[in-house]
Amino acid sequence: MNFAFRLMLRDIRSGDLVTLLMALIISVSTVTSIGLFIDRLQLSFEQESANLLAADRLIRSDDAISNEWKLKAEEVALQQAERTSFSTMMFANDALQLSQVSAVTDAYPLKGSYLVDDTLFGTGFSFDEPPQAGEVWVSSRLASLLSITIGDIVEVGDAEFTVAKYLVRDPGSSTSAFAISPRAVINMADLEATNVIIPGSRVRYSLLLAGDRDELAQYEEWVTPQLNEGQRWRTPTERGERIGDTIGRAESFLLLAGTLAVVMSGVAMALASARFVKRHLMQVAILKTLGATPKLLTRVFVQQLLALFVTGALVGLAVGWGMQEIIASLLSGLMSTSLPEPSVSRLWLGAATGLISMLVFCLPLMLRLIKISPLSVLQPNAKIEQNTLFIYLIGFFGMYGLMCLYTKGILLPTIMTVAIAGIALVVAVIGWVAFRLGRSLTSGATSGWQIGLASLYRRLVPNLFQLLVFTLIIMLGLILVGIKSSLISDWQSQLPEDAPNHYLFNVQSNQIDPINNETDKLNVERSDWYPMVRGRVTVVNDQTVQDLYPDDRGEPELYERELNLTWSDTLGEGNTLVEGDFSAQGLSVEQEAAKEANLGLGDVLTLNIGGNNVTLPITSIRTVDWGSMRPNFYLILPKSVLEDYPANFVSSLFISDADAQPFYKSMSQYPTVSILNVGDLLKQIQTIIGQLSQAIQLVLLCILSAGALVLLASVRSTLEERLEEGALLRVLGARSALVRQALLVEFGALGLFSGLIAALGAEACLYGLQVFVFNADASFHGLLWVLGPAIGVCVISTIGLFASRTVLKVPPMHLLRGL
Amino acid sequence: MANSTAIKVTNLTHTVTSNTGNLTILKGINMEIMESESVAIVGSSGSGKSTLLGLLAGLDVNTTGDITLYDQAFSNQNEETRALMRGEYVGFVFQSFHLLPSLQAIENVMLPAELKGDKDARKKAEALLEKVGLSHRLTHYPNQLSGGEQQRVAIARAFASQPKILFADEPTGNLDEENGKLIVELLFDLNKSQGTTLVMVTHDNELAKMCDRQLVMSAGLLTEKTL
Ligand SMILES: Nc1ncnc2c1ncn2[C@@H]1O[C@H](COP(=O)(O)OP(=O)(O)OP(=O)(O)O)[C@@H](O)[C@H]1O
Ligand SMILES: [Mg+2]
Repeated sequence: MNFAFRLMLRDIRSGDLVTLLMALIISVSTVTSIGLFIDRLQLSFEQESANLLAADRLIRSDDAISNEWKLKAEEVALQQAERTSFSTMMFANDALQLSQVSAVTDAYPLKGSYLVDDTLFGTGFSFDEPPQAGEVWVSSRLASLLSITIGDIVEVGDAEFTVAKYLVRDPGSSTSAFAISPRAVINMADLEATNVIIPGSRVRYSLLLAGDRDELAQYEEWVTPQLNEGQRWRTPTERGERIGDTIGRAESFLLLAGTLAVVMSGVAMALASARFVKRHLMQVAILKTLGATPKLLTRVFVQQLLALFVTGALVGLAVGWGMQEIIASLLSGLMSTSLPEPSVSRLWLGAATGLISMLVFCLPLMLRLIKISPLSVLQPNAKIEQNTLFIYLIGFFGMYGLMCLYTKGILLPTIMTVAIAGIALVVAVIGWVAFRLGRSLTSGATSGWQIGLASLYRRLVPNLFQLLVFTLIIMLGLILVGIKSSLISDWQSQLPEDAPNHYLFNVQSNQIDPINNETDKLNVERSDWYPMVRGRVTVVNDQTVQDLYPDDRGEPELYERELNLTWSDTLGEGNTLVEGDFSAQGLSVEQEAAKEANLGLGDVLTLNIGGNNVTLPITSIRTVDWGSMRPNFYLILPKSVLEDYPANFVSSLFISDADAQPFYKSMSQYPTVSILNVGDLLKQIQTIIGQLSQAIQLVLLCILSAGALVLLASVRSTLEERLEEGALLRVLGARSALVRQALLVEFGALGLFSGLIAALGAEACLYGLQVFVFNADASFHGLLWVLGPAIGVCVISTIGLFASRTVLKVPPMHLLRGL
Repeated sequence: MANSTAIKVTNLTHTVTSNTGNLTILKGINMEIMESESVAIVGSSGSGKSTLLGLLAGLDVNTTGDITLYDQAFSNQNEETRALMRGEYVGFVFQSFHLLPSLQAIENVMLPAELKGDKDARKKAEALLEKVGLSHRLTHYPNQLSGGEQQRVAIARAFASQPKILFADEPTGNLDEENGKLIVELLFDLNKSQGTTLVMVTHDNELAKMCDRQLVMSAGLLTEKTL
């Protein structure tokens, strides 16, 4: 066996290499599991979104899709399907009804599946194929409007179809959720025979594509320049931006938290390396006197580090993979679909982290070993040349670089670094004062209290360093507890269990009371009714929108499309006034929309409502709780202005699965009312939140184990001294109990101080994070002030006693003989 | 008796910088040591004995002057070459033994041979430990051995590379009389049987008298002690 490995194997007994390896494994596995899990989450999100789109990508067009595009898709080996949607009259039994029909090819849907049922207003089962030629699927709504059931014949244009199934949900329905409106699906093969598509009719053509990312990207690059005004390239993610946002936020949180684990493992690695180096300086000097050349020693240490890295990285990657498998399987019970397999290509991040950590935290220290002068054997106190500043700088920039790499920015790392520096200063000052005080209060060495408190001051610098490390770890833990509870409660409060999952549109004023009766009968939770009128902003402060945005580029949402307007003289639920006076006879604008359009109080807008122009100044700005799922409006007008316009009403309700069928049935009496079901979207969001909380727990676990490792490593770094002292005390006749008491006092005091300072620091950091990073309101966390000191005292005493257990166990003779 | 020059030192000076300024420890040393000779360096504490020994063994670089080992210039080589030469020519025994604490006795003795990539390291180490009377303690760790035993292991290690010159810095300084005698006997034994040149720093007059020559270090200068 190679000399380097033999030396290393013989060294394993000293424990430092094991700490080093453990730290490496923790940092690699943390990054790996987080990276893989996020990857799975994104893949799953993309897939679920693809189900909503019925494809990976879609081209929507007002004209028929050109053959050339289909050929190209074939050429790059993409799967393809087509859908053609149009409105037409459907006839059955002398009844007729305007309905939305889509004709689809046999491959449709490429992603996701239809939800169909054999009973009217059933909740449906999945079905992967479209209707056969000659068949039609109709929505329950349409069936009840036309009074038809399965097996009946309906006419679409010139063709006749047999009703084969009731359609519950079309995977690619044009809204993100399926509107329960009169709808039907037929096979593309029958489309021509209907003769309903004539020049000038409003038809929407879609080409659906599926395939791997590269092929899709290649196709996108080819087709995008050819798109005309009526054509759009659509990706799944656009459709679920809310979820995308949540995932994005969670991703940076997870990575930030993961970074902490990596940084802490780094500190543990640095501590272990420092101790390794300290213990090996003399050994290397001896090896040098025996003829070991610098070249040979360099080779030995490089090989040792390499072996450590390979072992640590392999084990870390395996553990990381295992950990994310475990969360995924824990989650599988919770989720409707299983998470897709993570991509193996994500593993590089964990390996890279391990390598960088080794280079940054171990190598500079190891260089010291190679540089030691062999003369130290003869002159043990000869100065060891060491470039401490250089080592700290490398470590610092290494950590900073890693943090930037994970969070993909410098804001969070900078906040964290400044915070850590500030805390170091506070810790140094408080610690110095406290230790001094402890020393002056106790003289003599008769009780464990006196010995314990005295040693705090005696080992001032190492103890201050430990105090800092403990403080940082407890603080990070507390911050995570704080963030976790506020982030998750934030998400959950956004989406209460009974958040509305259906919207009712197009309700006439005389239908409100009967519908209220129906919902009351079913005990359904319903929001207020909001009158709704459609209108468009045409003029802003004497300038027309057309002049302001001639080519539509950068046009704010407020001007871009026809808006739903409402009127009210009182601020509705979920609305909060930010500026101005809501009761003034002017416009009230939602804050984000106002910001995007650069509008403020006093700006004057002209709205075109049903052909009439209404000009009003902005008199209030308000925020809206978008997460409430209640109907929300960008613009609210005074009652006096809109009252006389014909309005229809909108409301949102929560309908449980059990109530769905009776409710849909009762609503079939109101054929003109549109029902929009957003329950699936909500379920998806809730699933993702569930996944994320699990992932956060896991990350917490990683961080805690890294923290424990740092504690162990830092206690070990003063172990020699403690051992000698303990042995001496016992040689001098002290009972083990006294030595234990002294250790308890020392570690307990360290724990108490670090817990208190940590609570202070965590409170400050949470304030910063809440206000500047997560854009939430600041709050006080009383729990932290209890948790911090309590955990500090318990955990640090335990770990301290555990690490120093040899002090108490080993016979004093053994210790005095040499370590 | 002596046939060729093992060590030759001309006009050697050594100056170190300390926080109180420059300190010249060696102020012009000239000497010659023949092969197979045993030489004792004596002198008061702090006179520069260990410093000289370190320079002779190439553990440090002298300020001016020349040192040659077997006619090979030693003093102005880089650490790489000096380390190689140490492995080739030099063995060491220290006052505080300096065994590697994480290695067993046998592993300590194997080190020099292992550094040279010798396949028979273990066998040779066993033989050497047998010679110093420790064949029953092969797998013991240094902290399981007494001071005298540790020093015997150190001597076995020093002879493992079959050095031409053995340097010893107060090899008996930490030992009682009896153990000290044992160590001295071992050193001279090996000096005789293997023809090793022995350069020893000691405070022990008895020990110094056993050597062929005695050199006295005083105020940075070396003089031959004549009886
Ligand atoms: N690197 C150094 N920096 C400063 N002073 C040094 C250095 N090396 C040696 N000295 C000083 O040089 C003097 C000679 O040291 P040396 O160790 O050679 O003495 P010594 O003769 O071996 O003494 P002892 O018999 O006590 O071992 C001492 O005063 C020592 O403090
Ligand atoms: Mg000396």
